[in-house]
Amino acid sequence: MSYIVPIGPYHPALEEPIHAKLYTEGEVIKDAEVFVGYNHRGIEKLATERNAIQTLVLVERVCGICSHSHALTYAMAVEAINGVEVPKRGEYIRVITAELERLHSHLLWLGIACHIIGHDSLFMHIWDERELVMDLLEKLSGNRVNYAMVTIGGSRRDVNDDLRREILEGCVKMKTILDRIAVIATTDKTVALRTKGVGVLPREDALRLGAVGPHARASGVDIDVRRDAPYCSYGDFDFDIPVVPDGDVFARVLVRVLECYESIKILQQALENLPEGPINLGNKLPKIKEGQAVARHEAPRGQLSHMVVGNGGLTNHRVSVHVPSFKNTPTIPFMLRGNTVADAGLIIASIDPCFSCLDR
Amino acid sequence: MQEYKRIDIQKDQIVPIAEKMRKAGIYLVMIHAFRNKDGQMDVSWDYAVDPAIESYHVVGEEVLPSIGEIYDVAATWPERELNELFGITFEGLDVSQRLFLPEEMLDPQGKGQIMVMPMSELLERNGRGESK
Repeated sequence: MSYIVPIGPYHPALEEPIHAKLYTEGEVIKDAEVFVGYNHRGIEKLATERNAIQTLVLVERVCGICSHSHALTYAMAVEAINGVEVPKRGEYIRVITAELERLHSHLLWLGIACHIIGHDSLFMHIWDERELVMDLLEKLSGNRVNYAMVTIGGSRRDVNDDLRREILEGCVKMKTILDRIAVIATTDKTVALRTKGVGVLPREDALRLGAVGPHARASGVDIDVRRDAPYCSYGDFDFDIPVVPDGDVFARVLVRVLECYESIKILQQALENLPEGPINLGNKLPKIKEGQAVARHEAPRGQLSHMVVGNGGLTNHRVSVHVPSFKNTPTIPFMLRGNTVADAGLIIASIDPCFSCLDR
Repeated sequence: MQEYKRIDIQKDQIVPIAEKMRKAGIYLVMIHAFRNKDGQMDVSWDYAVDPAIESYHVVGEEVLPSIGEIYDVAATWPERELNELFGITFEGLDVSQRLFLPEEMLDPQGKGQIMVMPMSELLERNGRGESK
């Protein structure tokens, strides 16, 4: 029997709105469509009425998980238009915040993935351990979300020696914790049965459809903006880009676990070699020169881009925010085909979607 | 600082450039648009020719060819978004369903109002003129 099974828009997998229409034959999904746009807030329009500092605050609220990524990418675009060179220490602090954000984001997703597959003890264990990263972010910025660490021309808060030592100790602890989580996530039978061979996106499809971030790297596509178009001193650090060829949900778990190790490596290098000097260029409200720039950042979910057009005044002429979920969400129907209805929620969640980001 | 190269092209070069890029395995980062200070539409196709972005611009055209045949959903989603926000027509693009904006904003008169209409007028139209 053929049925059309509607899922969502409320909470099909994560607590964010997406609507999926599954065209099924029995339990098997023959085709699928996804619908977004349930949470459009007009942030790009609002940005045209705000100055650069106000826009930093605004774009940070595009997403509660990768808020630093948005502020950082917007700031990089304005700095490119204005020809501003950020002090090295400011860049390193931006990197430290970005990698802590990646760690907490990946652990959050891993926990949710475990919850969806029914491994709730692992879900609770991972989220419990994630608190270590959240505590470090709170000590660094004063906040658990919306860190407000970026300003145009640098970072807003410095890292003193005590905090530097504390984050370094946290990295050592986190590595031990990760070792334990990695063993369970990659060898547990429950995880393997629910994720191996499920929601496969072959490499050629990932390339054609424009998938980005860990989602693309789990399909064997070797891309990462931090290495391919270095920014914020990422070129100073030695790290690997984990790439797994299988393209299934298990590969997405594996890539994100491995990326946590790489984030720790980057954090340790940035903290051990934190340059001396100023962290920013002062607090003067900048004009945005006439011009256009696109900045890209490897956010936890993949390539994030902000396009900014300035007209020589204080406000933006145009800000265009394009998030990794904008590239990854359209790949969902291709992954759903041939899988069962029972796996639909997991497959949708496997791209680590953020519909708050997507709708912006 | 990441490099951004602006290259101005004509409308008939859009598809051949997209074909060349796709063949070379280059990612389409995004399709952007804005109205420039002369009121003309400035549409750009940004490709990740790492480490730089090559940004191909067409200025003053509001009916453009779709590159959905070449880049699939990586192109059709940005094209649908620009159709909703600015009213740009991409030839051959299926716009029978909404993407981001509510359906009531997609009537022919309302199309493109979000990015084009001044904020005060937009709030007025939605009965929220005082809340600004």
